[in-house]
Amino acid sequence: MNVLIIDPDDARAALVAEGIRADAAHREAVIHHWPRFELMRLKDINPDMVIIACESPDRDTLDALQIANEQAPRPVAMFVDRHDANTTSRALEAGVAAYVVDGYAPNRVASILTVAAERFKLMQGLRTELDKAKSDLVARKTIDRAKGVLMTSRGVSEDEAYKLMRKHAMDTGRSMAAVAGDILSIAGLLKSGEN
Amino acid sequence: MSAQVKIGFIALNDAALIVVAEALGFYASEGLEVTLSREANWSNIRDKVSYGLLDGAHMLATLPLSRGLGLGPTLGHIIAPMALGANGNSVVVSSRLKAVFEDQGAASLLESARALRQVIQLRRSVGEGPITLAMPFTYSPHHFVLRHWLAAGGIDPDRQVQWVVLPPSRMADALRDGVIDGFCSGSPWPQMAELKGDGQVLFSDPDFWTLKPEKVLGLRGVWAEENPETVQGLVKALLRAAQWASEAGNQTELANILARDVYVGAPVEAVQKALSEGGAGLVLDAQTATFPWLSHAKWFMGQFVRWGLTSEAHDFDAIARSVYRPDLWRQAAGEIGLSLPLSDEKDEGGHPQSWSLAAKPTDILMPPNRLFDGGLFRSVPAEPA
Repeated sequence: MNVLIIDPDDARAALVAEGIRADAAHREAVIHHWPRFELMRLKDINPDMVIIACESPDRDTLDALQIANEQAPRPVAMFVDRHDANTTSRALEAGVAAYVVDGYAPNRVASILTVAAERFKLMQGLRTELDKAKSDLVARKTIDRAKGVLMTSRGVSEDEAYKLMRKHAMDTGRSMAAVAGDILSIAGLLKSGEN
Repeated sequence: MSAQVKIGFIALNDAALIVVAEALGFYASEGLEVTLSREANWSNIRDKVSYGLLDGAHMLATLPLSRGLGLGPTLGHIIAPMALGANGNSVVVSSRLKAVFEDQGAASLLESARALRQVIQLRRSVGEGPITLAMPFTYSPHHFVLRHWLAAGGIDPDRQVQWVVLPPSRMADALRDGVIDGFCSGSPWPQMAELKGDGQVLFSDPDFWTLKPEKVLGLRGVWAEENPETVQGLVKALLRAAQWASEAGNQTELANILARDVYVGAPVEAVQKALSEGGAGLVLDAQTATFPWLSHAKWFMGQFVRWGLTSEAHDFDAIARSVYRPDLWRQAAGEIGLSLPLSDEKDEGGHPQSWSLAAKPTDILMPPNRLFDGGLFRSVPAEPA
């Protein structure tokens, strides 16, 4: 079993490879990863199955092989029945497509494609969490700085400054970070006016 | 309640109507909540529309037809209720090749194809490899334009040329590195290649065919059947976008909208260069460049046969009628006051000058319709005398 993963995202490709190997049925699989598809090198690997990220612009080059060459990997959708169409559909939704050499065991194809789709979704989840953590951190820093501005300008304690901002946020139906951002930009404006 | 629609597009200037309708609120005016999804390749567009992950998309005109001819993955029928304009592609060659053409004074398409034939023969005589040309998709107008041009110069596109499918984003690099000798792509990629000095535009769509069909709005057949009102709203919104986009005074704003990161995401000077006079000749006029002519569908299917991509054993008329849907265009266009052509097919080529097309309530003044080789494609049987 020879699988080629084409994905510009290295971390995600590693996650997919790990997922495939975690299944006892595919423990022996030889997995290659290319960030982009290279037609000239395809013969060196001679994969049974190619998994490609939908965001890869190279997908059309790979897709064209099915017209040019009978021996080339074919898109899964070409020979699977309606049952497997669900697997393909879920995979596309997760952002991944697969090609297999015609006649390759359909059940193995479906199980590997399912794993790939799950790992793509998992990566998406991790990235979303990471983005949220990053923006939370930025928001907290903004709120801390705005608190500092209020403490100096109004001569209140840290706790009071926080309560003032929270009340304003609730009254105006906006987030604490948005209110803090306003305070900072107004403070910046006043400061530059002094100069 | 507004209808929700998911539409895919590829980052090209000829997605103009689809993105303009979002940017200027034409979808919203029709009561549609359209979510655009920029896709990285045509295979995604084909598959996502097939599986219902998208309701419709900006499509190569050949894509729904290839489906109609039973080529490629078999899931689901795709219909085309309108064209998204005409023209927009250019053929780019290496500076070396362009210099050869210039030395020989090969200015017309016929002359450059003949000059290329000599280059191919010369290369073979000194043991160099064949000419390699790139296209974005096998079932594409680009592929057919290149083949038609080559054949006009006496080149056998199957035996004397090596073909490769490449994403437009990688074509300029491949040309610069000598991996390919030329490519055909939608704008603004040819203009970007030229601005970067990676290659030179040899000809653009209007040099090949003054009003060449290119992209269509492709809709998932089942979805379109279940949502006839939404389809009407969508076509109307895109026709209004076409009316806006073809106004002379809106060209700067059009280029700025297209260049945005979320749309084409290219330098505005490249987008502008393609849109301006002498560029890729993109025509977005609602009245003359959006009707889904059955004769376009048949011309394309003729190319599939000519180049051995399918057999002659098809009912081409029935396929054209089931994929291209002039009835849906007329319904929407009538509501916004456009003139409606009386026929579904017309002669392709044979009109070197502007001409009058029979339509109601008033005839339409059509731009010239001429192929570079003077060819005339007539799918309608001549009226008995």
